[in-house]
Amino acid sequence: MAGIEKGLFRAEVAGNEKLSSACRLIRFARPEGFPDAKPGHFVAVRVNSSPVPLLRRPYSIMDLTETELVLLVKVVGPGSRLLGEAEVGDWMDIAGPLGGTVFPSPDGEDAVFVGGGTGLAPMIFAARTWKREKDSANTYLIHGAATSEELLGTFCEEDFTKVFRSTMDGSEGFNGDAVSFLQSLLKDGAISASKLYSCGPAGMVKSLELKVSTRFDSHYTSLEAVMACGVGACRGCTVPSREEEGRKLMAVCSDGTVFDASQIAWEDWE
Amino acid sequence: MSTTGSIKVTIGDILFDNPVFLASGPAGYGEEYDGFIDLQRLGGIVTKTVTYEPKAGNPGTRLQETPGGLLNSVGLENVGASVFFGEKLPRLLDRGIRPIVSLAAEDWDGYRKLLDAAADTGMIDIVELNLSCPNVERGGMAVGTDPRMISRYVGHAKDILSGAAIIAKLTPNVQDIGRLALAAEEAGASAITAINTIVGMDIDIRVKKPVFKRKRAGLSGPAIFPVALEAVWRIVNTVDIPVIGVGGIDSVDDALKFFMAGAAAVQVGTAIFYDSHLPEKIVTELEKNGIPASINTEGN
Ligand SMILES: Cc1cc2nc3c(=O)[nH]c(=O)nc-3n(C[C@H](O)[C@H](O)[C@H](O)COP(=O)(O)OP(=O)(O)OC[C@H]3O[C@@H](n4cnc5c(N)ncnc54)[C@H](O)[C@@H]3O)c2cc1C
Ligand SMILES: Cc1cc2nc3c(=O)[nH]c(=O)nc-3n(C[C@H](O)[C@H](O)[C@H](O)COP(=O)(O)O)c2cc1C
Ligand code: FES
Repeated sequence: MAGIEKGLFRAEVAGNEKLSSACRLIRFARPEGFPDAKPGHFVAVRVNSSPVPLLRRPYSIMDLTETELVLLVKVVGPGSRLLGEAEVGDWMDIAGPLGGTVFPSPDGEDAVFVGGGTGLAPMIFAARTWKREKDSANTYLIHGAATSEELLGTFCEEDFTKVFRSTMDGSEGFNGDAVSFLQSLLKDGAISASKLYSCGPAGMVKSLELKVSTRFDSHYTSLEAVMACGVGACRGCTVPSREEEGRKLMAVCSDGTVFDASQIAWEDWE
Repeated sequence: MSTTGSIKVTIGDILFDNPVFLASGPAGYGEEYDGFIDLQRLGGIVTKTVTYEPKAGNPGTRLQETPGGLLNSVGLENVGASVFFGEKLPRLLDRGIRPIVSLAAEDWDGYRKLLDAAADTGMIDIVELNLSCPNVERGGMAVGTDPRMISRYVGHAKDILSGAAIIAKLTPNVQDIGRLALAAEEAGASAITAINTIVGMDIDIRVKKPVFKRKRAGLSGPAIFPVALEAVWRIVNTVDIPVIGVGGIDSVDDALKFFMAGAAAVQVGTAIFYDSHLPEKIVTELEKNGIPASINTEGN
């Protein structure tokens, strides 16, 4: 474990901004005593107090300042809908910061971030944190989304040295997926960097690892899995990983969420 | 079971400060919930079921929410006897947390080795035999649905862990859970825990496949509370040993209902995932107003 103190907090909603038809920027007043989280940490939000939906919903921390805890929320089902409807002044139960690993800093080197959909959130937290700590040189974001609307306009433009956008329907930016876009940017010499960081759908991360990671010194990724406890107890969120003596299952919530992407047994990933 | 003054309960010869435990599985090995749950406030925790050899558990999707419930197909992933007895258990004991050790086996040979290892530790005074996991190919429910097997497993545990309290945890996936409870009692069990998860399944309509590799999974959470309550009521009417109620506790009131059905103690499982303070709230309520008396006098 990264050894961070975690806890249960009551947090007051301080803002709810609509970034697109599906995406919300939810800002909470930072609860008293909420520990200093690092890029890759997440929280688990209890969106209601009735048994439907039942479980807490996991969300990457998009930013944590002295005063605010910020989440980027895409409405996809009943839990995220309730969270997306949060109003200023509402109180919610938040467990966190969770996660046993965090993104290792680029140590002053150039870094490429690939965020698929709301996988953008931990990429923003990493870029902001390292900017504050003057820990990276240049930061390039490749943000892939299905449509132009989901690219969220110029949101987070100032957090990176340069932002590259791609859409699957070609409505904005590069026409195609983020991985092909990154491949072509590298080929053209438009960007070069030694560190690769990613977060997004498993298919995207897998393809990054298999197709482009050799162009970088390292590839760290934050994975998602359906979670119940969020703390490593229930063993519900496992991913297949490589180990010296064979394969092992790792819990995304407590052995991750950040993994060296070469550690994951991608051929066994569902 | 006896209630001594406050809300202490005894199971076998073991005295617990209160009758509220975490259920095996959701409780993990206890240490995971630091910062969330004050385990010293609870009567104890039932540790994640351990098998002799470590188990990796089931591949593929392991969790799926249902309305008011949770399907899981974890498949008894655990660290195995040697790490559990060597590292996890001593750590709990050092911290003053009261463990009830949950044990299971895939076959008789594994069961014998596990019990010998447990006996060798010299640390174990109470165990819960998981005779009821629906998520493994062998052992689990195959043993737990056959009264003769239950009696053989309980009897062997009595022999090897002499002096320890043996609790039999039963599956609701049978016609008459009372009969299984009776078999456990006759074989010398000190208590019965009911219920384990209920077999269920789900289908992913986009890919036209069952959600879980093993198809079936175990349902827990508020959705199963009425089933658990009826099982406890029925077992209380069948045996004289204490019954520990588990299944779907979602509120303090649910816990009170188990006591009214005649349970001597309760375990909270799935609810700690979303309302981690619930077990402590139940303790606080019992401290304030005592343990409700059983209203279950049917047949006695
Ligand atoms: C570590 C982590 C970080 C995440 N960060 C973000 C983020 O920053 N922004 C964001 O919008 N979303 C994020 N997600 C995904 C988010 O948790 C899900 O979109 C949300 O739980 C969906 O709940 P629902 O009730 O709306 O949808 P439903 O599909 O109805 O949910 C059903 C069940 O599946 C789970 N689930 C559904 N989708 C996912 C998913 N992609 N990953 C994990 N579990 C899922 C739910 O938690 C719930 O238990 C993250 C997930 C994880 C595991
Ligand atoms: C994720 C998960 C893992 C479980 N693992 C075990 C286990 O290892 N051993 C066991 O006896 N029961 C296990 N159970 C069953 C619980 O102990 C309990 O009997 C059941 O979930 C019903 O209680 P609940 O509705 O309060 O969760 C597990 C349940 C869940 C949800
Ligand atoms: S969600 Fe329980 S182990 Fe990860």
